[in-house]
Amino acid sequence: MKPYLHNMFLRLIIVAVLFCSCASDLDFDQTKDLTLEPVIVANLTYFDVKASAFVDNGTEQNVFFDAKDFDVFRDSFFRDNLKKAEFNFEIENTISRAYIVGMVFLDENNQVMHDTEINVPAYVNTPNSVKHTDVFENQTLDLLKKAVKLEIRITMLAGTPLTADSSGNLKLRSGATLYFEIK
Amino acid sequence: MRKIYLILLLAVSVSGLTQNKQVLYNFTSVPQSLLVNPGTDISYKYYFGIPLLSGISANVGSSSFSAYDLFANNGVDFNTKLRNAVNKASKNDVVSVNEQIELFSGGFKLGGRENKGYISFGVYQEADFFMYVPKDLALLALDGNQKYIGKSFDLSQLSVKAEVLSVFHIGYHKKVSDKLVLGGRAKLYSSGLNATSTKNSGYIYTGMSNTTMYNQIISSNLELKSSGIAEYLEDDYNGSIASDIAHKTFLGGNYGVGFDAGITYYPKKNIQFTASVIDVGFIRHSKEVENLTYKGYYQYEGVNPNFTNPNKPENVFDEFEAAIPRDTLYNKYTTWRPVKFNSSIQYSFGESRLDEECNCKTHNKTEYLNGVGVQLFVMSTPRTPLTALTAFYRRTLLQNLQVKATYTVDSYSSKNIGFGFSTTLGKFNLYAMLDNILEYKDITKANSATFQFGLNFIFKENSEEN
Repeated sequence: MKPYLHNMFLRLIIVAVLFCSCASDLDFDQTKDLTLEPVIVANLTYFDVKASAFVDNGTEQNVFFDAKDFDVFRDSFFRDNLKKAEFNFEIENTISRAYIVGMVFLDENNQVMHDTEINVPAYVNTPNSVKHTDVFENQTLDLLKKAVKLEIRITMLAGTPLTADSSGNLKLRSGATLYFEIK
Repeated sequence: MRKIYLILLLAVSVSGLTQNKQVLYNFTSVPQSLLVNPGTDISYKYYFGIPLLSGISANVGSSSFSAYDLFANNGVDFNTKLRNAVNKASKNDVVSVNEQIELFSGGFKLGGRENKGYISFGVYQEADFFMYVPKDLALLALDGNQKYIGKSFDLSQLSVKAEVLSVFHIGYHKKVSDKLVLGGRAKLYSSGLNATSTKNSGYIYTGMSNTTMYNQIISSNLELKSSGIAEYLEDDYNGSIASDIAHKTFLGGNYGVGFDAGITYYPKKNIQFTASVIDVGFIRHSKEVENLTYKGYYQYEGVNPNFTNPNKPENVFDEFEAAIPRDTLYNKYTTWRPVKFNSSIQYSFGESRLDEECNCKTHNKTEYLNGVGVQLFVMSTPRTPLTALTAFYRRTLLQNLQVKATYTVDSYSSKNIGFGFSTTLGKFNLYAMLDNILEYKDITKANSATFQFGLNFIFKENSEEN
């Protein structure tokens, strides 16, 4: 039996050596530091209004759209993780009148949370495109997060009268750039 | 939404490898080698494994990044490390984990001295996790889409399988002649948990547009089939997941069958050829089945104030849900086990003289001290099969101490050196095997690591003659 024991001892050492390995210090708690910071771009709103829409039975009028649902912040993911937002508007006017395009963000009680007014000059043979950016951070972002409706108001400024046959369009396209911080 | 991010993170942080057991394969002094080739040329009068300790094996690794890359305590911000790991990975990089524990096992020789048939049987528990790195989705989670205008994020990269099962098996091998050993094994699978999402397609696209700011499309054909999981996801679940899985693994009611087959053939005394196919089988999932699908096409334009269609939902969430509804189905489904193929050719030399003093054992078979050869391993996956090529050298050192060294080239590593030994003290057999030895100077930097370990009692065929 003795040689067996001797062998056994040797073999146990071999086993011990086999399973011996070095390992760097790993820290799995680091996962707590995980912060995802994706930047998402998405459409916000768009319209295309013909010059004739500003004339009703020969009388000029402004165009106020009904308030539309704007409820991305209904989702707690957006409420909790959005750190900054940018709204980028691009307006192209081919109507020979100047406008003020208003974007009004309303909360549940129809209180104004944010209001943007963009001045658009009249079209004089060369296409003009107006760009406007709103940045929301901290307090302005907190207000924006309460918004549930978007109202768009197009006010026409004084100028050469339009008729039902007047040409041109007022086009808007806009996108949001959303900066998230997800912990 | 948060959950999705967590799952993505988990997916990227778990590491793993294939089920190649290149050291154990054809290691004829270890009965568990019958599980990688039921036609292994192995003889015993009877053997039994020490319950729970006869066969423990685990396999972890990742083809692109290591545990060190992600979790090193080196002061580098975790987010930076995660970003680097994702950038380093490609969509064909694999993350997988495999673990097996034998609950019990045993075997015996059939009939009299002239009978060359052997039975082996046992139960083992197995857990598998296999996924491809969903690189596009990880990029989307990390960076968002702003940097990637014009790029389609490919949803088909999402491919994942997870399974916990127990396997009841019985095998038979017979020395048909001095030159030929044939073997087969029947298996009954009992699945405790399965999640399969391997046939996904679709994309998430953001480009520029004229009427709206962006052209945004989500085209989704996602499906997750699962059995035995729904219960744990319920809000009011307050049991113990581990013990519930263990319970279901044996009595879950999702069963399947399969087989292994193998051969050992000696064209010449010192030339040996072997081949085996393992886990040709399926599991039918019929209990606690839940299949989630997200199928549809959605183009997001934003709020359009002068477009009034009373039939169109007004807000983006309702619109999205109508376009790509989440459906839960309760259809039965079938999953196939990952099929493994092994083959080897070995040249043996150096006749054994260990038994010289005692010539009472009249073996007509020559024992060789050395063997060199090559092995091939192939495993089926949801995409291209994984392949590994191994060169090996085995040697009998001392009496009853067998060692084997391997050098393996596969998609995880081109310099994977493995080593294993098996020693028998009286009736007591101990074996241990591991690979990627070069990485053991810092195991955390290894892309993969495998080990097998076990204890058996083996009563040799000739022990009755002693």
